[in-house]
Amino acid sequence: MYGYIVRRLAFGALAVIGVSVVVFVVLRVLPGDPLVAIFGSEGFTKLSEAERARYMADLGLSDPLPVQYVHWVYDITRGNLGHSFFRAESVAEMIARRGPLTAEIALISVVLSWIVGIPVAVISALRPNSWADNISRFLSILFLAVPGFWLGMLIVLGLLFVFGYRAPLAGVSLFVDPWANLQIVIGPAIVLGLGQGAYIARMARSSLLEVIREDYIRTARAKGLNRRLVVALHALPNALLPVVTLSGILLGFVLAGSIPVERAFGTPGLGYAMAIAVSERDVFVMQNLVFLYAIVFVVLNILVDLISAWLDPRIRYG
Amino acid sequence: MSTATRDTAFAQPQDIPDAAPSLLRRTARGLRRFARRSPMSAFWACIAAAIIGMAVAAPVVAPYDPLKSDFRAMTKPPSERHYFGSDQIGRDTLSRVIHASRASLTVAIGAVVLGTTLGALWGLACGYFGGRFDIISQRIIEFLQSFPDLILAMAIAMALGAGMGTVIVAIAITRIPFGGRVIRAVVLSVKEMAYVEAARGLGASHLRIMAQHILPQCLAPYLILATTHLGVAIIIEASLGFLGVGIPPPTPTWGNMLADSLNAGLVPPWWLVLFPGAAITVTVLAFNLLGDGIRDILDPRLRGAV
Repeated sequence: MYGYIVRRLAFGALAVIGVSVVVFVVLRVLPGDPLVAIFGSEGFTKLSEAERARYMADLGLSDPLPVQYVHWVYDITRGNLGHSFFRAESVAEMIARRGPLTAEIALISVVLSWIVGIPVAVISALRPNSWADNISRFLSILFLAVPGFWLGMLIVLGLLFVFGYRAPLAGVSLFVDPWANLQIVIGPAIVLGLGQGAYIARMARSSLLEVIREDYIRTARAKGLNRRLVVALHALPNALLPVVTLSGILLGFVLAGSIPVERAFGTPGLGYAMAIAVSERDVFVMQNLVFLYAIVFVVLNILVDLISAWLDPRIRYG
Repeated sequence: MSTATRDTAFAQPQDIPDAAPSLLRRTARGLRRFARRSPMSAFWACIAAAIIGMAVAAPVVAPYDPLKSDFRAMTKPPSERHYFGSDQIGRDTLSRVIHASRASLTVAIGAVVLGTTLGALWGLACGYFGGRFDIISQRIIEFLQSFPDLILAMAIAMALGAGMGTVIVAIAITRIPFGGRVIRAVVLSVKEMAYVEAARGLGASHLRIMAQHILPQCLAPYLILATTHLGVAIIIEASLGFLGVGIPPPTPTWGNMLADSLNAGLVPPWWLVLFPGAAITVTVLAFNLLGDGIRDILDPRLRGAV
């Protein structure tokens, strides 16, 4: 097991380095002239030659690219994540203030996806091709197709029309005002949770269908155990292995999905900050946020691998 | 010449009995069999075809010009004149939804074809040659997969600046790893087959073996991948449009229409929100179910794998 952990961590470290290069290439090298990316091609032509040179020097953009890359990585290791080009707040402050909300949304949505997805999968798998199975399969296919941010906009509109209710707009910490915090977080969490729930239901259904045909399940039934107990205690634990893996991977995708969803709800989380940064073409904020999201994604994938190796010895020794 | 015909016949023996009936009748028979085997996906295939038809014939189908504003009908709810209502500068929402299908489908199909093809060719080369080239390629693919799709697409679209071409490239890059992985795995198993060895024994070049003997085996997984990823591509395109890094206005896309509705006042009018999103949902649903059907027919073993 230790050998496996060390190997996985080494690959993870390599992935972080690779990711940093990809981020740098995409956001600093691809745009050609970074000032064009910041000001847009129209604004860029309005700048005078001297202004361009001053901005380039101020932002450290006149150095050769490898030097810029090293500077960037060095700054990050020192905890200096830079400033937004348009706002006073530093990126580090922004992450500290807005990050927890997004993390809450992601975690609640994972819990919701299990609460919704697993029962649906169990009902589906116990009576394959019954009407309950067909309905739940159609619903899960439907929720794979519904764009989360659109569902979010509909929920916001619906609540406003029917109840005249609007979630508070200012970010509140969970520890200061849990009730206000919940109102902000619950909408995006439900939307993202339903989307993931659809994946979970599909995966859990097919893996449960496989496990139910195994000999040891028949043995358990044959010795007279109650059907529900067999499903809950014998079938589910084995069937849920691939679901745990999937759920971990989905958690990473939820972080990305929360960008448009938070924009739709107006949630003051990190996803909304990313949406703003992208619409303002704020290259420096984007660079660090994209890198942060990618690191979180890499770490999540490592955790998923380690957890599934811990749960399933076949992976460890395979 | 005789060697060439012999070894193609060797590779694709299943082509011989099918050669008799005309292409048209063969396709018709194939479609009938498809409809019988999975009526559900045949139904959604018809819907997908209808959506594509709508996109192609948009100027004929749409009742109004999607860009023309009518200042007597600003932000009007659905009525007999405008079935889906009109937006804040009096453009007809129905016409805009219909025209938006063009941009969305062009981007989705373009990106999936471009990305999957590049990935497949890369995977083919990796699987066939192996060695150091393969190891390095696998690491690069891993790095690309270390980003959630949407974030990578967002960053690339932002860096390259707005436009249809850049959105296609941005989404295509996120599709490359899938094509690379799947096709590489297929190639790894196919290249050990006896007929490939026979072709090599006959002195066929690497290029010839890859093109004539290995590539045909990759066709089914390629088609499955491409169709199952269309839906994802449409959702990414819509999200990019919604976040303002997709195809820029005034060209309507479902994503930028939804973004636009947020600017229509403190409370967006419901018809500006409902219809573009419903169009995305129906389209993605149709393509996903069509993809599932194609996968089940081409390769039932892949159920749940791609």
